[in-house]
Amino acid sequence: MRESGAAFFTSLTLHSLAMALVVGINLAVAFRLLGVAPGIALGPLIRFYTLHWYAAVAIFLSGLALLLAYPAKALTNPVFYLKLSALATGLVLARKIQSTVSKESLMVSGRQLQWIAGFSIALWVITITAGRFLAYTHSVLLASRFF
Amino acid sequence: MIEILTDFALASGIYRFMNSAWGWPVAESIHFLGLCLLIGTVGVFDLRMMGLGNGIAYADLHKLVPIGVAGYLLNVTTGTMFLVSAPDQYIFNPAFQTKLLFMLVAGLNMLWFYGSTLAQVKTTAATAAVSNRAKLIGAISLLCWSLIIVCGRLITFFRPPYHWCFWC
Repeated sequence: MRESGAAFFTSLTLHSLAMALVVGINLAVAFRLLGVAPGIALGPLIRFYTLHWYAAVAIFLSGLALLLAYPAKALTNPVFYLKLSALATGLVLARKIQSTVSKESLMVSGRQLQWIAGFSIALWVITITAGRFLAYTHSVLLASRFF
Repeated sequence: MIEILTDFALASGIYRFMNSAWGWPVAESIHFLGLCLLIGTVGVFDLRMMGLGNGIAYADLHKLVPIGVAGYLLNVTTGTMFLVSAPDQYIFNPAFQTKLLFMLVAGLNMLWFYGSTLAQVKTTAATAAVSNRAKLIGAISLLCWSLIIVCGRLITFFRPPYHWCFWC
């Protein structure tokens, strides 16, 4: 991974494309829940989550490949864990929104759903920002530094 | 060209901001956020025209597009900040040139859509398919934005030698 320019670039690009799709779809649903374009039918809108979950798998696989290329660089950087936590929580909230809307669950009120949507937007902003800062905040590049 | 851009960066304070401790990653974060807004609104509308999300009214979904335009403005602003702060890394970079080309195609495609197809798409029933022309416009738009992301990644991944360009 580290030594193959094509493999590393492909993983990096796939990660960016999939991240744009996941964050984009989540932002669109969140804006709708917050009252932007209230005419959009929520039921059909959450069908985009099918594509979203495929993209989430692509994020996981490409992220794993990037991690394998430079494990020490990421694992020694606290920003990596911030990105991972925000991403995981964002995906959990996406699942929550999807199941609530598809079941028209009475357990969650519209107001609660709006809070979840707002929190979801904040989490995706943190995920993106932490992802970009990863490249600038590492203190270790290779584990060989320790040997 | 390089001198003009550099002078602008110095005079406007962009160069100082971009070369501060966190200037570059902050601008990159905003750039990617703008892109996500664009994909989440314009990209989702393109996918809708291509047949996904059957049941969503086209006219209603189109109301999210202004958010995509705001995202695009964030991209143009931060993109300009990158360009003027390190013009030699962009002007002579084939990945940047190709990215601009796809942005031009996306822009022309948008003009084609607004000039010929939007009114028809907006009046199409939520459960009906749009015309083949609208589907084609949606596919071109989505392809262009995907390639713009690929070229954007290439710019930072591959730094050409100083003033290098394979067709210059």
